[in-house]
Amino acid sequence: MLTDIALGQYYPGNSLIHKLDPRTKILITLFFIVAIFLASGAVSYGILWGFVFLIILLSRLPLMLVLKSIKPLWIIIVLTMVIHMFTGQGENVIFSWKFFKVTQEGLEMGLKMSMRLILLLLISSILTFTTSPIVLTDGIEALLRPFKRFGVPAHELAMMMTIALRFIPTLLEETDRIMKAQTARGADFSSGNLMQRAKNMLPLLIPLFISAFRRADDLAVAMEARCYRGGEGRSRMHELVYYGRDYAALATVFVLIGLMAFIRWGNALCVL
Amino acid sequence: MQTIIEVKNLTHVYTDSENKEIKALDGINLEIRQGEFVAVIGANGSGKSTLARHFNALQRPSEGVCLIEGMDTTVEENLWDIRQHVGMVFQNPDNQIVAAIVEEDVAFGPENIGVPTAEIRTRVDAALAAVGMSDYAKHAPHLLSGGQKQRVAIAGVLALEPKCIVLDEPTAMLDPQGRKEIVTTVKKLNREKGITVVYITHYMEEALQADRIIVMGEGKLKMQGTPKEVFSHVRELYALGLEAPLAAKIADDLRQSGLNLQQGIITNEELAESICR
Amino acid sequence: MPITLENVEFTYMAKTPYERKALQGVSLTVDKGEFVAVIGHTGSGKSTLVQHLNGLLKPSAGKVTIDGLDISGKGEAVKKARHQVGMVFQYPEHQIFAETVFEDIAFGPRNKGMQENEVKQQVQDAMRFVGLDFETFASRSPFQLSGGQMRRVAIAGVIAMDPDYLILDEPSAGLDPRSRDAVFAEIMALYKKRRMAVILVTHSMEEAARYSNRLLVISGGRVILDGSPAEIYQNHKNELLAVSMDVPQLFKLSDELRARGMEIQADTMTAEALEAQIKTAKGLK
Repeated sequence: MLTDIALGQYYPGNSLIHKLDPRTKILITLFFIVAIFLASGAVSYGILWGFVFLIILLSRLPLMLVLKSIKPLWIIIVLTMVIHMFTGQGENVIFSWKFFKVTQEGLEMGLKMSMRLILLLLISSILTFTTSPIVLTDGIEALLRPFKRFGVPAHELAMMMTIALRFIPTLLEETDRIMKAQTARGADFSSGNLMQRAKNMLPLLIPLFISAFRRADDLAVAMEARCYRGGEGRSRMHELVYYGRDYAALATVFVLIGLMAFIRWGNALCVL
Repeated sequence: MQTIIEVKNLTHVYTDSENKEIKALDGINLEIRQGEFVAVIGANGSGKSTLARHFNALQRPSEGVCLIEGMDTTVEENLWDIRQHVGMVFQNPDNQIVAAIVEEDVAFGPENIGVPTAEIRTRVDAALAAVGMSDYAKHAPHLLSGGQKQRVAIAGVLALEPKCIVLDEPTAMLDPQGRKEIVTTVKKLNREKGITVVYITHYMEEALQADRIIVMGEGKLKMQGTPKEVFSHVRELYALGLEAPLAAKIADDLRQSGLNLQQGIITNEELAESICR
Repeated sequence: MPITLENVEFTYMAKTPYERKALQGVSLTVDKGEFVAVIGHTGSGKSTLVQHLNGLLKPSAGKVTIDGLDISGKGEAVKKARHQVGMVFQYPEHQIFAETVFEDIAFGPRNKGMQENEVKQQVQDAMRFVGLDFETFASRSPFQLSGGQMRRVAIAGVIAMDPDYLILDEPSAGLDPRSRDAVFAEIMALYKKRRMAVILVTHSMEEAARYSNRLLVISGGRVILDGSPAEIYQNHKNELLAVSMDVPQLFKLSDELRARGMEIQADTMTAEALEAQIKTAKGLK
């Protein structure tokens, strides 16, 4: 059944990481990505790995669960590795056969690139594992609010995300129902060539779109009936508040960036 | 008692897809008093839903006036006051819940009118308690039953603290269990909190719960009175595409055949009593 | 030849924390010519049950056969057998997709592999059955029709496949009393003419009593009662109440009359029959 698909990948919990303000977690994720790109050398990467595993430990997420988030992209990771390995230029040839040549520099580059990808995947999936989509939306809205004067529609974006989250399961159910109804009328969604198959989807897609529009229409009326008139003058039931732990977490990630920068350029500074 | 909704010579005209002018409502005169439980019945296309939408200014009269607490629905400045006073619950429970968590959805209305954060919390808790959904505050709406979803929708309206709730066929898409839940909830809100209820339905067993029934047909107000008065007009109701309770129908048939039965029979007990007297 | 279910079990989301047994050991035979009403509260398994009848769901254990053929397999014969079972879903108007009424109704017959002249014949017949005039409606867009008319188009789309078995999942949901009676009058006419099997899923005890000649009561994924509506409503009132079902008003009224000493026959199923007995008792002709 289509409705079996879990929405998002929120893993409920009550850990320190779960309790952090969503804004803090989004910022940490962004700063960590900066740190990844500052990293150079084995020590840097060692520290980054340590940091990620510390967060996983603190979040009390099952390690396997977090590692599984690499799975959907493993082909890309392996490809990155292989391409760099064979195309990297360098002096120290480790292995060569006909015109294939693997250099130490290439190997290092490949490792570095795939490690960056894995770290990126891990940190962003920790964010989504520990933050429910709704809270995440609140966080994004709050972070974007200052940019409103530059024309960023923070409230509207957040409202759209909220409604999308609300209606995805409903529309999945609907898809399931229409698919069954058309199958009972002899529709075939799985055979034929590409063109044929695309054409066969029409009896599913047209009712689905009509239904989505009808729902949108109904929802708009219902929202208006409940006094909705855009973001102006709205209050919120949940105001986001920074606690001590948020400041501590942000400070930690700044230290991390500092460390990465120091390892990268520190020697140059010493020379100066 | 104070009048909360007053409708004078209300006419609503719209143009259909073939550019024909259609009178959805035709010269309606009506008064609903504070604290009343009024059911509106009528076949599909009788104008009952259009009428309901005038009560919280989702529609404006083509002719005549619709006054909510004395406020004219055509005056733009009154719009948000009117919508706070008269809440509206719609037919499809799925299409009126905005947020992906029950309590967030109930908070939607108060947030829109800028209620202070601390007060929203109390309003949300009170509204969920009033419809018996407190235990589901943190649930996702799509996993609830139809009756539960519809109760969340009612809570969402209650959080605006309205004087009147208009429900537009709230049970049309529910199973018998869900229908019972809604009727019980609405009745309780009316009796215990004194909220005025306008309940649109085509289930006559639900209309039986009301103080007064208004019968719509072809955009006109055809009949009104207590359930006993209205459901005694079995043949008139039938002509309007509606039905009366079985006891009223059989009583009417038996009277036709010459049996002498008392007037105003609508329940099985009344009929059996009257026959076996 | 019938549809049979042998020890059918069905589990949703097997081997997950959400695992739920929707059907347990259901054995059942539905013959052509029967009008079966299936009742049960939401979540009782009745929708799951009827989705097994045309292979939309595959049993986790047990066997479903249509006219003797096991439909769990693949191949043309199985496909053909499944096409003999038409299914009208709840709110069927939500599945309409074509530009004209004709094209939408013709979708099923064409999928079934009928020739174009045969398709046209079937569409005409189906439209006549649901009371839509061919000349007026065939070339119109279904999306400009009223809700009741759209539902008729959708029902016609299933009837046009000329099924031997017709499953209807709450065909009257959301309709007012007049449209509801009209839809059932059409279904009854079709049932009488084609002598197909009709399987009606409903929440309404009145509909079950009025139209069916066999009643299945589903609870907890099992068939707990199977018999004629008269017999079940008369003798199993307590079992019905225990699974939050009810008996029709007519039976309640009959009970009230009996309680006051009037004799009412046990097999009284219609208002007319009841009125006749009251009139006789009161000395009217």
